[in-house]
Amino acid sequence: MRKERLSEAVITHIVLIIVSFVFFFPVLWLVLASFSASGSIYDYEGFFPQSYSLGTYIKLFSDTQMYDYPSWLRNTLFVAVFSCVLSTVLVILTAYTMSRFRFKMRKPLMKTTLVLSMFPSFMGMTAVYLIMINFNLINNLWSLILVYSAGAPMGYLVQKGYFDTISNSIYEAARIDGASNPTIFWKVTMPLSKPILVYTALTSFAWPWSDFILPNMLLKNRDLWTVAVGLTHLGETEFSRFAAGAIFIAVPIVILYFSLSRFLVAGVSDGAVKQ
Amino acid sequence: MKSTNVKTKCSYVVMGLGQFLYGQRIKGLLYMAVLGLYIWYLFSAGITDIVGFFTLGTVEGDPWLGVAGDDSIIMMLKGILSFLILIAVIVFYFSNIRDIKNTEKLVEQGKPVPGFYASLLSFVDKKFYVVALFLPVVGVAVFNILPIIFMILIAFTNYGGDIVPPKLVDWVGLSNFAQILSLSGIKDTFVRILGWNIIWAVSATIINYFGGLFLALLLNKKCVKGKTFWRAFPILAYAVPGFITLLGFKFMFSYGGPINYYLKAFGLQAVGFLDIDAGWKARIIGLLVNAWISIPTSMLLATGILSNMNNELYEAASLDGAGRWKQFTKLTLPFVVFSTTPTLITSFVGNFNNFGVFYFLRGGLYLDDYFLASDTDLLINWLYNLSIDNNYYGIGAAVSLIIFIITSVISLTAYVNSSAFKKEDTFR
Amino acid sequence: MKYMKKALSLLLISSLAAGATACGSSSGKASGEKSEDGVITLRILENDTAKSEGYLDELLNEFNEAYKDKGIVAVDANMDEYSNLAENGPYGYGPDVLYQANDKLMTYAEDKHILALNRDDFECAKLIPEEAWDAFTIVVDGKQYTCAIPVNVQEPMLFYRKDKLPENWETDWDKDGDKTPDFFQNWSSLYQYSEQIQDDSDGENYGLVAACNDLYMMAEFMFSYGGYVFGKDENGISNPEDVGFGKADAAKGMMGLRQFAGVMSEECIDDSIGQNRYSKVADGTYFCSISTPDTYVLFHDRLADVYKAEGLSDAEASDKATENLGMIELPGKMPADGNLSGNDTEVDTVVMGGVNGYGISAYTEHKEACIEFVNFATSREMIKKRAEILGIAPTRSDVAEEIGGVTGMIFESLNAGHISLMPSVKAVDQIWDPMRTLLSDVAKDAFREIKGEEVKYSDEAAMQEALDKASQSIYDAIFTLSK
Repeated sequence: MRKERLSEAVITHIVLIIVSFVFFFPVLWLVLASFSASGSIYDYEGFFPQSYSLGTYIKLFSDTQMYDYPSWLRNTLFVAVFSCVLSTVLVILTAYTMSRFRFKMRKPLMKTTLVLSMFPSFMGMTAVYLIMINFNLINNLWSLILVYSAGAPMGYLVQKGYFDTISNSIYEAARIDGASNPTIFWKVTMPLSKPILVYTALTSFAWPWSDFILPNMLLKNRDLWTVAVGLTHLGETEFSRFAAGAIFIAVPIVILYFSLSRFLVAGVSDGAVKQ
Repeated sequence: MKSTNVKTKCSYVVMGLGQFLYGQRIKGLLYMAVLGLYIWYLFSAGITDIVGFFTLGTVEGDPWLGVAGDDSIIMMLKGILSFLILIAVIVFYFSNIRDIKNTEKLVEQGKPVPGFYASLLSFVDKKFYVVALFLPVVGVAVFNILPIIFMILIAFTNYGGDIVPPKLVDWVGLSNFAQILSLSGIKDTFVRILGWNIIWAVSATIINYFGGLFLALLLNKKCVKGKTFWRAFPILAYAVPGFITLLGFKFMFSYGGPINYYLKAFGLQAVGFLDIDAGWKARIIGLLVNAWISIPTSMLLATGILSNMNNELYEAASLDGAGRWKQFTKLTLPFVVFSTTPTLITSFVGNFNNFGVFYFLRGGLYLDDYFLASDTDLLINWLYNLSIDNNYYGIGAAVSLIIFIITSVISLTAYVNSSAFKKEDTFR
Repeated sequence: MKYMKKALSLLLISSLAAGATACGSSSGKASGEKSEDGVITLRILENDTAKSEGYLDELLNEFNEAYKDKGIVAVDANMDEYSNLAENGPYGYGPDVLYQANDKLMTYAEDKHILALNRDDFECAKLIPEEAWDAFTIVVDGKQYTCAIPVNVQEPMLFYRKDKLPENWETDWDKDGDKTPDFFQNWSSLYQYSEQIQDDSDGENYGLVAACNDLYMMAEFMFSYGGYVFGKDENGISNPEDVGFGKADAAKGMMGLRQFAGVMSEECIDDSIGQNRYSKVADGTYFCSISTPDTYVLFHDRLADVYKAEGLSDAEASDKATENLGMIELPGKMPADGNLSGNDTEVDTVVMGGVNGYGISAYTEHKEACIEFVNFATSREMIKKRAEILGIAPTRSDVAEEIGGVTGMIFESLNAGHISLMPSVKAVDQIWDPMRTLLSDVAKDAFREIKGEEVKYSDEAAMQEALDKASQSIYDAIFTLSK
C-alpha cells in the first residue's frame, strides 16, 4: 500500500513537472527575449538571444517620445481597476439573482443572454463607437470602463454555476431568522463567495490588459492608449520591447494571483456549509 | 367606492397621478417625473429620431461644399435607442398600473396605504431580483443589445462597399440574403467553413475543459506538496496577454523561428507549420496553442468548484470501500459537470467565435475554393474579412445573422436540454 | 477577506492617482479649435519615422517660429500614423493636415474626406513632375481635382553591405566594365551570384533574400513584363474592372520569381523575412535584401550593432555602418523570357511605387492656415531637411537635383516610367491579400521542387492560370458583392 502511494506521488510529480515546463517555457522565452541586447528576435541561436542586457526595460520607461509606455500602464491600470470593481459587482449580483430567485422572466432572460453571447462582438463595434461619439466619450478612459462592465453580466453563467452549489438550507435558515433578501445577500452569500469573487475579479481585471480592438477604436491619442493597443503599434523590429512590455504587465496579474490564491483554494464547504 | 375607481383610472391616463391622489405622494411624483421626462425627450429629439429611423437621412453631405448632410448610420442608431426608451417607458407604465391596482385593493379592504419608505423597503426585499438586475439589464441593453439590433438591421441595408458616409444608406429589404444565396462562391465557402468551425469548437472545448479539470485534479491530490508553487506555472501563462502569446507562437512556428532552426540544425528539412499548404498541421497547432491559452482559466475554475465539494461525501464513499476511479466517476465528475455545464456552453460559444487564434497565427491568406478566406479561418474570421477588410458591412451582417441563427439554435437546444438547466437544484 | 481588501484598496489608490493624471491629459476632440486668445491650432499627422528621427519636431518648431505673429500654431496630432480619416474626421477627431501614401489619401478623396486643392496655391507646384501629381488626381462628375501635395516617392530598394562585396567583383562580376557590379544592374546576374554564394557557403549564406509574399516588393516580376494592377481609362484614371496582374507576359516574370525563390532561404515564404532582413543583412547571412527607403535606419542600426560587437565604440560603429550600408535601386534589367539563367534579351525593370503627400482634412475649420502649413512644409528648405534626415526621395525637382545620388536616381526613375505607382482608388485595398497568397504559393513551389513534393507551377500555362485566378478573385472581391 505504501509503495503504491509512493510510486503514485512520483508519477504525479513527473506529470506536474512536464506540465509546468510546457506552460513555463514560452513564458521564459518571452522573458529572455525581453532581456535580449539586440532588440530583434532574429539574432537568436534557436530559442536564446546571443547577448543580454537591461537596455530594453530602461528604454521602455525612458524612451517615451514615440512609445509612452508609462502612460499606457497608468491608463490600463485605471481601466482595469474600475472595470474590475464594477464588473464584479454586476456579475455577482446577476449570477446570484439568477441562481437564487425564481421569477417569471428568469428562464427567458437566461435564454436571451445565451443567444446574445453568440453574436460576434466586432460586428457591433461600429455601433459602440457611434454610441460613444454621441456620449462624447471618445478619447476618454471611462468609455472603456463603461463598455467592459456593462457587458460583464453576460458572462454570469460561471458564477451562477457556483451559487447553484450553495445549499438552500442556509438561505432558509436565514429567512426564518427574519433576514431580508438584501441582508441575506450581504451577510450570508458574500462570505461564502470568496473563491468565485476572486475568480471574477481576476478575470475582469485581466481582460483590459489584453483587449486591443475596442480601445484601439475608442482611444485616438497615443498617450491615452492602453498597453495592449500600444504594444500592437510597436514597430516590427521592436520585439524585445514588445516582450518587455508584455512581461511587465503580466507582473501585476501574477502578484494578484499570489496574494489572492488562498481564496481561490479555500473551500467554502469546509466553512459555512457544515455549520 | 366610486372615487377610488376614478383615482385608479387617473393612473391609466397619467401615470402616477392615481398614486398621488391616494396619498402616495413621492411614488406618484416619481412616476409622473418619468412620464414628464419622456415627453420632454419626445419633443426635443425622440420624434425626429423615430422618423429618421425610417428615412435614414434625406440630405447627402458634401464636405467639399460644406453641406453637413445626414449621417444615416447615426440616425439608425438613434432610432433604435428611441425604440428602446419607448419600451422602457411602456414597462414603467404597466408597473404603474399593477401598482395602482394593488393600492386600490388595499383601500377597498380598508387597510392603510403604505408610505414611500415602507413600500420601498418591501419592494427591495420581495422584488430583490428586480433591484439587483436593474443595472445589469440596462448596461447590457445599451452596450450589447443595442449594437446587436443595430447589426441585425444593417443586414437589411445597402451599407458597405461604396455606400459609406457621407453617402446615404437605404433599406433594401432581403436583397443581401438573396445575393448570398445566389452566389455559389459564398454558399460553398460558408458550408466549408461551418464544417471546420464545428469541429474546431467541439474539440477545442473538450481539450480545454478536460485539460483544466485534469490539472485541477492533479493539483488537488493529497500527495502534492506546494500546490501554490505548481499552480503558479499555468497562472504565468494566463497572465501574459493572449495576443502576445499568439504572436510569439506564430514566430516560433515560422520559417525563421526557433523550431525550424533546430530542425535544420539536426539536418532535417524546414517545415512550413503555418504556411499555405499547412492545412491540418496549422489546424492542430491552432488547437494546441488555444489549449495553452485557455487551460489555465478552466483550471482556475475547476479548482474553485472542486473546493466547493462536500468532503463528507468522499469520506462516506471511502468508508463504503469505493475505489478512487469509482469515486471520480460517481462523485467528482457528476458534480463538476453539473456545476460547469453552463460554462461548457459559454466556452463552446467562445471557441466557436474564437477570432484571435487564426487571425494572428495565419491571417491574410485567401485560398482557392474559398471566397476571401482560408482553410483555417473560422466563420468569425471570414466575417472579419468580409466586413472589415473588404468593407461589405451589409453582406457581412447578413452572413453573421445566418450564422447566428444556426449557432443559437444549436446551443439553445443543448442548453435547454442540459441537466444544469432542467434540474438546477440537484446539488442543493 | 482582509488580504483581498488590502490588495484592492492598494490598487484603488494607485489607480486613482493614475486616473487623475490620465484624465488630466485627455485633451478634448478639437480639430483645429480656436482657443480663447484667437490662436489657431493645427493638428498635424506625420508618419512614425518622421517623429522618431526628430524631423517632425524641427518642422513644427520652425513653422511655429515663423507663424508666431500670424497666430497659427501647429501641433503633433498624436495619433497612429495610419489612423483612418474617414472614421475620425466626420466626428471631429481627425487631424487637420495629414501625411500619408497616395492609395490611402485618395481613398479619402473618393468620399471627399480631404479637400480638393488648387495647385497654384502651392509654391512647389511647378517643380513637381506630372507623374507625381497624377497619383493625387481624381475625377468627380467629369472634372479633375487635385487632392494632395506630393512630397516624396517610395519604391522598393536593394540594401547590402559594401564591405561584403566579393573582392573579385571588378574582374568577375563587371563584364561590361562600367564600374558597377553586374548583379546590381541585372536580375540574371544577381540570380547567378546568389546561386554561387549558396554553393560556396554550403547553404549557410544566401545572396538576395526578399519577402516573396509581399506584392509591393515583388511587383517587378509582373510589371516589367506588361502586367499591371488596374487598367486606365482615357483620362488616365484607374479602372478596377480591368485587373491586369496576368496580362501580357506576366506569367514569364512569375516563373522568374519562382526560379529566384529557389536560391533564397525558406524564410522568404512567410513573414520571417519581413522582420529578420535587417539583422541578417547586417550579419552577412544574406548578401542583400529588398525593403523601402524609410527602413534605412533599421538596417543601419543593426549593422552598427554588428560593428559594436566587433569591438568598435558606439560612434565609430555608427560611422562605419553609414559608410558601409548600401541602398540602391533594384537591378534595372530582367530577362525577357523570365529565365534567370538564360542569355535572352532584356527588358527594363518596372517596380511598384507610391507617392506620399500632404492632404488637408475636409473637416478642418482653418483651410487657409492648413494651406499655409503645407506650403511651409513643402518649401525647399523643409523638403531638403526631410530628405537629409529621413533619406526620402523628394518629388521636388530642385531638391532632388541638389542632393543627387540615390535620391536623384529615384526621381529620374519616376520620370522615366520605371516606377508604376499604386492606383489611387479605393479598390486597391482588395489586391493585397489575394496576391500575397499567390506570391507565397509561387515561392513555396520552388521549395516543393527542392523537397521532391508535387509542384503546382511547372510551366507558364499553369502560372498563367494561377494569375488569372488571382485576378478573378480580386475582381470578385471588388464587384461580386457590390452589384
